[in-house]
Parts: sequence; C-alpha cells; structure tokens
Amino acid sequence: MQDQAHANRLSVDPEPTGTTAATLRRCRTGRGLGAGRVMNRRIRQLAAVMIGLYVLLFAALNYWQVGRTEELATEPGNTRALIRQFDTPRGPIVTADGVVTAMSVQAMGDSDVKYDRIYPTGDLFAHITGYYTFGLGATQLEQSKSDVLTGDTFTQQVRAIENILGRNNDNSGSLHLTLRNDMQEVAKFLLGPREGSIVLMEIDTGAVISMWSYPSFDPNQVADPDYATAFDYLTGLQADERDPLLANAYQQRYMPGSTFKVLTTGAGLDADVITLDSYWEPVSEWVPPQTTDPIQNYGGTVCGGDLTEVFRRSCNIPFAQTAIDLGPDRFQEYIARWGVGETIPIDLPRAASSTIGDFTDIDQNLPLLAMRGFGQNEDQMVPIHMAMVAATVANDGAMMAPFVVDAELDHNGRVIDSTQPDVWKRPISRETADILSDLMVEVAVNGTASCCIGLDNGISVAAKTGTAQLNGPDEPERSHAWIIAFAPVDKPKYAVAVMLKGTDAEISAGTGGRLAGPIAKAMLDEMFKIDPPEPAAPASTTPETGSP
Amino acid sequence: MSVEAMPVSARLVARRRSTELTLIVMAAAIVGVAYTLASLGANAEIPARLGPFLALLLLLIGIAHIAVRKLARGADSTLLPLTVLLHGLGYVMITRLDSELAGLQSIWSLVAIAAFVATLLFVQRAGDLARYKWTLFFVGVGLLILPMVPGLGVNVNGARIWVNLGPVNFQPGEFAKLALAVFFAAYLAERRELISASTWKVGPFRLPELQYVAPILVAWGFAVMVMVGERDLGSSLLFFTLFVVMMWVATERASYLVLGFVLFGLAAFVSSRLFDHVQTRVDIWLDPWADEYGKGFQIVQALYGLADGGLVGTGLGRGSPDKVPEAQNDFIFAAIGEELGMIGATAVLMAYLLLIGAGLRIALRTDRTFEKLLAVGLTTIVGMQAFIIIGGVIKVVPLTGITLPFVSYGGSSLLSNYILLALLLRLSDSGARRLGELPDDPTPRERWAAWRLRRRDHGLPQTDDATDAYADVREVVS
Repeated sequence: MQDQAHANRLSVDPEPTGTTAATLRRCRTGRGLGAGRVMNRRIRQLAAVMIGLYVLLFAALNYWQVGRTEELATEPGNTRALIRQFDTPRGPIVTADGVVTAMSVQAMGDSDVKYDRIYPTGDLFAHITGYYTFGLGATQLEQSKSDVLTGDTFTQQVRAIENILGRNNDNSGSLHLTLRNDMQEVAKFLLGPREGSIVLMEIDTGAVISMWSYPSFDPNQVADPDYATAFDYLTGLQADERDPLLANAYQQRYMPGSTFKVLTTGAGLDADVITLDSYWEPVSEWVPPQTTDPIQNYGGTVCGGDLTEVFRRSCNIPFAQTAIDLGPDRFQEYIARWGVGETIPIDLPRAASSTIGDFTDIDQNLPLLAMRGFGQNEDQMVPIHMAMVAATVANDGAMMAPFVVDAELDHNGRVIDSTQPDVWKRPISRETADILSDLMVEVAVNGTASCCIGLDNGISVAAKTGTAQLNGPDEPERSHAWIIAFAPVDKPKYAVAVMLKGTDAEISAGTGGRLAGPIAKAMLDEMFKIDPPEPAAPASTTPETGSP
Repeated sequence: MSVEAMPVSARLVARRRSTELTLIVMAAAIVGVAYTLASLGANAEIPARLGPFLALLLLLIGIAHIAVRKLARGADSTLLPLTVLLHGLGYVMITRLDSELAGLQSIWSLVAIAAFVATLLFVQRAGDLARYKWTLFFVGVGLLILPMVPGLGVNVNGARIWVNLGPVNFQPGEFAKLALAVFFAAYLAERRELISASTWKVGPFRLPELQYVAPILVAWGFAVMVMVGERDLGSSLLFFTLFVVMMWVATERASYLVLGFVLFGLAAFVSSRLFDHVQTRVDIWLDPWADEYGKGFQIVQALYGLADGGLVGTGLGRGSPDKVPEAQNDFIFAAIGEELGMIGATAVLMAYLLLIGAGLRIALRTDRTFEKLLAVGLTTIVGMQAFIIIGGVIKVVPLTGITLPFVSYGGSSLLSNYILLALLLRLSDSGARRLGELPDDPTPRERWAAWRLRRRDHGLPQTDDATDAYADVREVVS
C-alpha cells in the first residue's frame, strides 16, 4: 500500500521501488523518468559547458597572472610597485651637521599613498638628494640609494628578520652625507644669483663638504602629491635653458682657462720638458707652428721669466710652448693621468667628464694644441674636477675619489656601509706636487690671486686663478671666472673650486682672481671657523728634536 | 517508504547536516583568518572589530544552518558552506576596500539571511511556485521595466538599473531574474512537449509552430529592451542566456540554442552600431589600452592588479585594489586576484563551479520537470552571472556591469542571491523527500488543507497512518 502510493507519486516506473539505493540509481541514469531522462542528458551537457567556460576563465587567469606579469609590471600606467614603495616608510637623508634634507611624512588628506616625500632644506641639496616622486621618477641619491632608504638591501633584509617578532615593521635606512648644511648655506649666499658653482672638499679623503650650483630647483615642488602641479613645475625646469636640473658642479663642464695650467705644468714637470729653472723670454705674443696667427698673453701684456714667475703671473705663452714641446701624444697621455676624459667617480648618478677636445689630426693643427696647453680652445673641465686637481697638488699627487655619502645606516642607526677614502688617480709625482704647491702659494701671495685670497688668522693658502675667454677676437668679451685653492699649505685640509659662468658683462669683464677669489677665501674662512687648523707654530719656535 | 530502509536514510540525512556544519565551520574559519590577515596586512594590527565581526559571522551562519536543519534537512550539504565562503571572502574584501561600506554590507547580510530563512519558511513545496507563474511573470517584467519609469529610475554610471523608492535604492533586475526563472520553468514544464514538437523545417533547422516560438521572441524583445532602455548589457545577456538555456534543456533542441544566440548576437551587433555605449564596451574589450586613462581605465587597472598579484598574490591588505574604481562592486574579483593571487582567484572559480555542480545535481536528482528546470535556471543564473562578470574583468568577454553573486557589495544582489540559494535548497530537499531519503512530512499548509478537507468531507477514510492520509491531500493541493 505504501509502496504503491509512493510509486504513483514518483512516476509510472514499473520497477519495484522501495530501497534508497534503487531510487538513487534510477535517478542517476535517468532511466524510467520519461521526460527527465532526456533533460538529464541536457543537464549533463550544460554542466560540461559550464566547466568549459570556467576552464576558459582559469586559462585567462593564467595568462594575466602568470604569463604577462612582467610585461604589465613595466607598463607606464602601472603604479602598483610605486604605490608599494610609497606605502612603506622611507628613511631620511641627513647632512654631516645633522640637518635633515629629505624625509618622509604621513600623507595628508585622501592620498593614494601613505607617505609624502619632503625636502626641508628646499633647493639647497636638490642636486645631491635629487627627488623622489610619484609618477615623475626619482633622481640622484633618491634613485641610486633607494634600496637603502626603503630597507631593501641584503644586510637590511637580514637584519629585518629580528624585527619580525617585534611590532616594528619599519625597515627603512638613512643616509648620512659628508656635506654640511652650514657650509652649503654659505656657498649659496656667496654665489647669490650668479650662475656657477662652488665645491669645497676634504683633501686627504675626497669627502665633499659643500657643493652648490646655481641655478638649482625645489625638489618639494617636483615631489608635489598633486601630479599636475608637479608635472608643470618639472616641465618648466626642463624647458629652462640654464638647465637648473643639472648641477653645474659635477654635471656640466666649462672652459677652465688658466686654472688648467696646473695640469700642463704637472705634465711638463713629470715629463721633464720643463723644470723649476726653465726660463721664457718676456714677449707679448708668439706665433705657434703651422700658422701666422700669434698667441697673446691675457690682455696682450709682455710676460716671461722662470717657471715661478710665469705661473705667478699666469702668462699664456710658456704653457702653450710646453704643450707644443710635449707634443700631442705626451700631452694627451699626461693630461689623461688626471682623469680627464673619464666620468668623475663621485657617488652620484650621471656625473659629467672633463675633456681636452678632439685630437684627430692635431699634428696638422698644432696651434690648437698650444691653446689647449693654457686651458682654452676645446678644454672643458667639470668644476668638481678642478677642486680635485687642487686637492691632488695638496695631497702629494694622489687624487682622491670624491664622495658625498659618508655612511648608510639601518633603521636602528647601525652602519650598513661607510665610504672608505679611495685614491682614484696618481697623476703627478710627489716632487711635482711639491713644486706645484709652491707655485700656487706664489700665486696666492704675490700673483693673480693675491688681491683676494688671503685667509683670516694668517692661515696659509695656495691658489690658481683662471679667466676662460669664450669670445672670438672681435666679439664682445665673455669669460668664465675660476679659482682653485687649498689651505693650509703645510698641512692641507680643504680644497675649493669656484666657477662663475660668463653670462653677463660684469663677470666677463673681471678676472678669476678678483671675482672668484673672494668667494674661495670666504668659503675657506668659514670652514676654518668650524674646523680650525692645528695652530701652526712659528717655524723658529718649533723644537727640532732629532735634527742636527 | 519501506520500514527497513528508514534507519539508513535517517543516518544519511543526519550525516548530510553534520557535513554541512563541518564545512560551514571550515569556511567560517577561513573567513575569520582572512579578516584578521587583511587588517594585519594593511595596518599591522589585529582588527579592532574582530570580536563583533566573528560574533556576527557565527550568528549568521548559525541562523542559516539551523534554518536548513529545521526547514530543509534533506537538502544538499555543500551549497550553504560554499555560499558562506564566497560571501565571507567578499565581506573581507569590502572591509579592506571601504570600512564604511562594510558596516552597510553587514546589515545587508542580516537582511539577506532573514530573507533566506523566510524563503525556506514560506516556500515549503517547490512545486507550489509553479502555480504563481503568471503572477511572477508580471512581477518579473514589471521589475525589469521599473527603472525605465521616469521619476523612479536612477542613472548610475551610465546604466539605468536602479530604482529610487524614498530612502531605499534597489536594483529590481536582481529580483526580476528570480521571478522570470520561476516563470520560465513553469511555462516550459507545461509546454515542453508542444514546443519541442517540430512541424516545419527551415534549412537544417526544424522549427515548431510559430505560436510556440513566440515566447523566445518575447524574451528576446525584453533582452533588447533592457539592453537599450537601461543600458544594462550584463543583465540583458543574463536574462537571455537563462531563457535560452532553459528552452534548450526543456526541449532538447539545439536549434533553440543556435537561434537564441544568433538572435542575441544580431541584436548586440546592431546595437553596437547604433548605440555608443555598446560600441564602447566592445572597443575597450578588444583593446583597453587604446584609452588607458579614460574608458579603459577600470579594466586596465584591474589587469595591472591581477598581474601584480601574480601566482600567490600580494597578501591581504597589501595590494592596491582601490586603484580600480568600483572595486567593491563589479571588480571585486580583481581585488581578490590581486591580493590572493591566482591561487585565491582559482579557489573562487572552484567555489562557483562546485555551486554549479551542486545545483545541477539537484536538477538531476529531482523527478519533476518544473523543479528540474527551476534548478537548472537558478544554477544558470549564478554560474552565468559569475562567468559574465569575471570574464569581463579578465577580458574574456566584453565587460558588462553586473555583480559577482554573494561576493560583490550590494543589498539587492545579496538579498536576491540568498533567496535563490534558499530555493535551490528547497528543491534539493523536496527531491530528497521524494526519493524517500527522509519522511515526507506534511507542511503546515497541507495540514491546514487536510483539516478543511476533513471538515467538508466527513466520508474521508480514517486510518492510523497519517502520512498515508495526507497523500491524497497533496494530490489536491498540488
């Protein structure tokens, strides 16, 4: 009775029902269900279609999430990696005198990212730190030392393991610079609104204490969280023909004028082409080989004498003759020893290289070689390179590689890496360096720099001036004003190079000594206020123990 | 029901519910851990509202599970756990994207579970629904065209699919699809024989009488109307696919499938020529990078996110899914793919596939044409809706704005999908009862009808076996 009723409700299936197993089997096969059987076939087909569709989705997921990940990661519109960087704290960049020049702060308002990058010192260190922006890239230390600042170096990652147990997930590192904020401010004040650069460096290490270039820019505006504002500002900088984005001090090169005579003299002495006793007849002009066009001294003056005399007065002709005497091959070889032609080995990206121009077929064009001997024609030096030249003379002929990063620190202030001073070149012998040092003292005491370089407190100083004439014979006068100097002479500590670009009549009318000299003096004076030299006792009172 | 089979079936049914409970607890554990991890990933701290969240989660799944135990204890054991997993994962992603919306979503979750219980309570016999087919037809059509009524419909992001009723905004389309699925199932169950009989031939196709083809033309008309009037390509495609699939299953005629998709393709092609928004969708599907910062922005950013997530994902709370506009809605799958990687995204695909499998198994197991078709229809809705939106996000099909069932933010979507789930469970339970896996107790309504019957007809034979007596009652009721 029960079975009968059940069977009636179910279907007209003649098969005796009763067990669950039997009913289940019947359902699975669809047998005996009439219409259901046909529909079940369709339902299974539908299931197969659905599986097919989802397999298609799975295949597409593979395509996007495995196959094309790397390609999509480099798309310009893909800011995910950037966001990830901006969501993690980024450490500060701090000057040697403890001023924060770049730091991250919590982003305000509804921002895409957690942190904004700000530069409390404004334009002062713009060419050193560079900028770190959202969508406009990063430059200089912000770019080259990004892994330290975000905590991604191997050392930091290893040390981060100990932080996992703690609550601290901030792994950002920091950079300590060799540059001093106070000296940078002095440099900025001294240069004022004149295009040019000032470089002050430590002689025995190559540590850069101050490196200011004008024009500069405000990295805060490039790093503006508002993309459009930042983009407009950066576009404006790029369009500015003065190239404010490039540091005059180490990313540009300029005709060095007479400061280059240090290199020529060094080459001449080392190659035994000249000695301290060499003598040049005083003349006002000299006609080099292969031309009838004479070379003149600065201002057309009569100039000659021994090496000390011609170096002190910065005659052109003796150095032109020295270059000719060296000949193209030796001139190139000895000048190249100074690192001319190579990128300045500073720990900042995109540094420039100095040059003495094209030497192809110079044999047939010796007048050009003669002019390059005293820093004209195609000679172009990077300003920091000239500071390194002064430092080399002071440092017994060893040219140190300049650096701006003193140490890389982890989040807990432990040193990851600190810069070790490194000799880059040994362009001249110790003896030649001593001679050059004496020559430069003469320049400071009795020569072209005597007007302006005398330091406070009687600290001894050595210098070489330069006035690079840019104009042709009949053009209005236009020249860069240079000076390189180091002090104290007996125990050299600091070297400085000042370059004022010949942009206006006032600078062009002046000489390196009168224009750049006072700036170099002020830089050294200020530096010695901060770091006074050991009192140089008068020679007469020095106890000469052990000497006969 | 044979007496000796009873203990076996009782054990089977009891095991089914305890399986469900185990699976739900596992799904809830996954969701709880995901919730905590998302907060840890984003803020490096244990979420402040972890306690209330877990309480709410346990409350909701407790209510749902007890409701199934009491009201549909023979039902499939995997449907609810899969839903808990998807819903919970969606909730975690919504919290991670916008904590304000998370509060609203938890209210919607409560409402949705309430609707789930209510559906199980009111629809005690799935077959009953068939009797309301014309009511549901008009309700469904009414809901569909409601957004087009001036003053009621609201344009959001170019699509006119919202209705503004004073304080509440809702998407009637989400409910229309349920009403129409029931209508289609009932209509086709009644007429499947007639419709499948072919009387004339056109080329390789054998077609039935025109009057029986009319419904497909009407459905097509509606699909076009929705596409043009509401600019809602997703819903339009979903309705039409639903109808064509149900026609195909009911009539076993592939010609309907072909005819249906040819008609839809034709409509889509013509409208892409006539209407910019359709053309735009096709253009950004073919090459979203052509307008990367404009119309293609959403999909390009979604693809970047997926690529950034890679195989294992960035980790919950550690990606940038908020770069994608409307990530909590249509693009929530991109957020999941970014933070949980391809592994997590594939888990979501598997969850839907298992849901589809469970739904179609219900259709296979049940013996009544209407219930079979309804189970097919409801499963198709979930499966196709998920496919259309996921496919849109990962550039498999043109992007159309519809929600990812159970996962996306939105009250209308959650509510309608929980009702859909309740109906599937009811169908599963009814099937199990008819298979004799558990006693087919009379519903309260049937008791009421029996009581009225007995009052009217005292000649009813009195037996000791109540179940048997109600057998006749059921014939009367259904």
